[in-house]
Amino acid sequence: MGKHNLGEFEEIVLLTVAILHGEAYGVAIIDEMESRLERSVSIGALQTVLRRLEDKGFLTSEFGEATKVRGGKRKRFFTVTSLGKTTLREAKEQRLSLWKAIPEIALND
Amino acid sequence: MRSHDNIQPSKFWLRFFRWFCRAEYKEDIEGDLLERFEANAENHGVQKAKRLFKKDVLKLFRPSIIRKLEGNQKLNYYGMFKHNLLVSYRNFLRYKSAFLINLIGLSTGLACTLLIYLWVTDELSVDKFHKLDDQLFQVMLHHEESGTLNTQEDTQAILAEALEQEVPEIEIGLQATPSFWFGKMPLTTSEKTIKASGRFAGKRYFELFTFPLIYGSATSALVNKESIAISESLATSLFGNPEKAMGQNIKWQVLEFSKDLQVSGVFEDVPANSTEEFDFVLPFDIFADMLGEGKHWGNYNALTYVKLAKGTDVDQLNEKLAPFVKEKAPKSNVTPFVRPYSDKYLYSNYENGVQSGGRIEYVRLFSIISIFILLIACINFMNLSTAKASRRTKEIGVKKAIGARREALIWQYLEEAFLMTFISILVALVLVVLILPQFNVITGKQIVFQLSSNLLILLFAILVITGLIAGSYPALYLSGFKVTTILKGKIKNSLGELWVRKGLVVFQFTLSVVLIAAVLVVSKQIEFVQNKNIGYNKENLILFANEGKVTENLDTFIDQLKNTPGVINAGGTQHTIISGGSYTTDVHWPEKNEDVQTRFGNMTVTYDFIETLGVDIIEGRSFSRELTTDISKLIINQEAVKVMRLINPIGQTVRLWGKDMQIIGVVEDFNFSSLHEPITPMFFKLEDQRMMNILVRIEPGQERNTIDRISKLYKEYNAGFDFNYTFLDQDYAIQYASEERISTLSKYFGGIAIIISCLGIFGLAAFTAERRSKEIGVRKALGASNSNIVRLLSVDFNQMIVLAILIALPLSYFLLKSWLDEFAYHIDLEIWYFLLAGLAALVIAWLTVGLQTFKAAKANPVKSLRSE
Repeated sequence: MGKHNLGEFEEIVLLTVAILHGEAYGVAIIDEMESRLERSVSIGALQTVLRRLEDKGFLTSEFGEATKVRGGKRKRFFTVTSLGKTTLREAKEQRLSLWKAIPEIALND
Repeated sequence: MRSHDNIQPSKFWLRFFRWFCRAEYKEDIEGDLLERFEANAENHGVQKAKRLFKKDVLKLFRPSIIRKLEGNQKLNYYGMFKHNLLVSYRNFLRYKSAFLINLIGLSTGLACTLLIYLWVTDELSVDKFHKLDDQLFQVMLHHEESGTLNTQEDTQAILAEALEQEVPEIEIGLQATPSFWFGKMPLTTSEKTIKASGRFAGKRYFELFTFPLIYGSATSALVNKESIAISESLATSLFGNPEKAMGQNIKWQVLEFSKDLQVSGVFEDVPANSTEEFDFVLPFDIFADMLGEGKHWGNYNALTYVKLAKGTDVDQLNEKLAPFVKEKAPKSNVTPFVRPYSDKYLYSNYENGVQSGGRIEYVRLFSIISIFILLIACINFMNLSTAKASRRTKEIGVKKAIGARREALIWQYLEEAFLMTFISILVALVLVVLILPQFNVITGKQIVFQLSSNLLILLFAILVITGLIAGSYPALYLSGFKVTTILKGKIKNSLGELWVRKGLVVFQFTLSVVLIAAVLVVSKQIEFVQNKNIGYNKENLILFANEGKVTENLDTFIDQLKNTPGVINAGGTQHTIISGGSYTTDVHWPEKNEDVQTRFGNMTVTYDFIETLGVDIIEGRSFSRELTTDISKLIINQEAVKVMRLINPIGQTVRLWGKDMQIIGVVEDFNFSSLHEPITPMFFKLEDQRMMNILVRIEPGQERNTIDRISKLYKEYNAGFDFNYTFLDQDYAIQYASEERISTLSKYFGGIAIIISCLGIFGLAAFTAERRSKEIGVRKALGASNSNIVRLLSVDFNQMIVLAILIALPLSYFLLKSWLDEFAYHIDLEIWYFLLAGLAALVIAWLTVGLQTFKAAKANPVKSLRSE
């Protein structure tokens, strides 16, 4: 068992950042999550989780180039750190091992 | 670029976001917000986009996004605070004398302020403890006499009932007698007799005055005419235990009256902050029986207290009450009015019907003194800090050069002042705790020191105010230096600064001189009052109550007294001699203007009383046993002769209480009531019974033995009674105890003010001498003598002190004149009081300054010139 437990929303955010691979900044993450999961996400909720994941060391971030859109403000791109990757993998394996342990019969309706 | 004017998000919400967001998140989140807004505007229209933008901003308003309170940068407030403390501490160590002067000055000043605060709160709390305080009023009467209004608290015994029945605003009307009227009255149980002071009071006394009852109920304790309520300690001394007291029998006695009573209530001992002190309460009905036919609108024989309905307008009520008595008794000269019961203690004086202060003046006086003392101590701090400034310019210069802003320096000096004040407050608290027992002895109070929330608030306020006053000027002044000038060492003392410092010293000394003059005059006045010729020799006179079996055999008792070795003479009187007695306006003489009422003191006495008291008869004769008709004769005082305008008083007839009385003698004016009151007309009237007190003049030298003999004689009549007597001169002293205390207190506080002021100029003198040490060295090297140097250094101080004295003298003259005018007999203000005060200040100042300058002048010039 890994010592870094991820919350459900944290895990989703982390996964989405990984999906976007190098293109993950605030609005892109929200768009991705909204289109894939059909759930609406506020900037506030997302930013809070992003900063928390960054504090925990699962994510790093850096500013991109300034563009003329978005009022000339730079984007902050997030990438998953190796710790983040390990944690994601651990989480996945935990789930899998749990899935495997379920007897066939239990899931048949 | 899509940013047209109309597709901009709301400025307000954007600004709000920028205001609360952490700086490090600001840029990219704002970008996200704008990007979302633009996308939304395209997809859903501008209105909806704006709404969604607002929603996004509000959802961002959460702890992890909001910036920290301290600001975006981590400022080192704590670090600066610590640094300032360290600098202050080093400064204290470096300038130990200045630190000590400040510490001693501020902490004694603060201790004085705290003591005065305790005293003032105690004074203000008197009589305030009754639950109904805001509704509890006392009815007073203005008497119109000889064209002026004379205000008295004695009222008609029937007034209370009439008020309660006829005036709707008055919910309860209650009569009572003051506890001093009958002195100590003997109470006898089956086992013992104890004398205690008591008062008569109406049935609802304990409802109105909430002295807590331990046993019995407030509503019923005084309903029964055979009941008596006693205090806890009286219950203990009578029955051993308050629990056993209820229902016990007590025989009460005064003059020729006595009654068997049952204990119906035990109340907690009356607290020290009550103006009425008593050990037991009797139903007023007993007193009403004693008065018999004396209850009418012309007799003033009770106090009246009322409970007003909530929200009563007192001014309106007083207007309504004014004609109340005159409607009942058209010939009456009195106008009733109500005043809060708790004002009795502090606002007791009335002048021609108008409230004119009282003890509250002392409360104000001392409050002002405490502020003065604190101010003087603050001035020391200000002067010493600014004077020291030249020694700290390098520090300020370097700090400024490194980049310290002015605010930081202001904070530094304020912090130093606060630290100083804080240390002083701690020292002051210790001082207060140490001094308090002695202070209680001086003030005659029982103040307990406890850190109440009020006191803590006060301490905090003092800390802030003193810190600000003491620290603000140095802080503003020192922080204002220009870097370049300081570091070049060209700092010059501006004229303004010098003036401020001099002005402060002058102010300080003005206060001190005023205080010295006040202390001198107050103590002179009190001495004068106590040694005033009161018209008879008050030494070797003893006074005791006529009570028990003595009452029935007064003549025999007095005869036996006179035959007792050591006794010169003895007589009885209904008067108390020193605190006043009864009076009447029912005196008529042929030329009297009947519209004007004149009050006559009534001193009803036995034979030989006048001789015992020793007042001089200047015309006519005294009462004589040989002539049986003397019962219808009067002896009057000179003032009465003057008021009645009698040219040849002896043999004239006046009508007193409807009877013709002949004047047979005139005595020299003498004091027969408080010395606060001027001598009024009075008469002696002869009677042979119902005397309250017995006065005995004894031979000086063997008082002890004589009193033992008198006591033995007394006990032959009143077995089981204690023989309680007082010396008349001591009674006088007690009357002036409060002035005496004020005088002692003012001496202490005056002394402290002077000491603190002197500490200040001591510090300044030391500083000046130190700063000018090079100059002194050069002057001495060039041949100046010691006295030259001393003169040089002290000329400034002399100017300041002389100026202070010049300001203080007229000021103190006016202040003291108005104080003295309150006394019927007072000293004249003589110029030498003020000269003495001024001279004292001058000499003290010279001594302090001289000590320093002389030391500086004597120093070897080589030492001061060799350095550098």
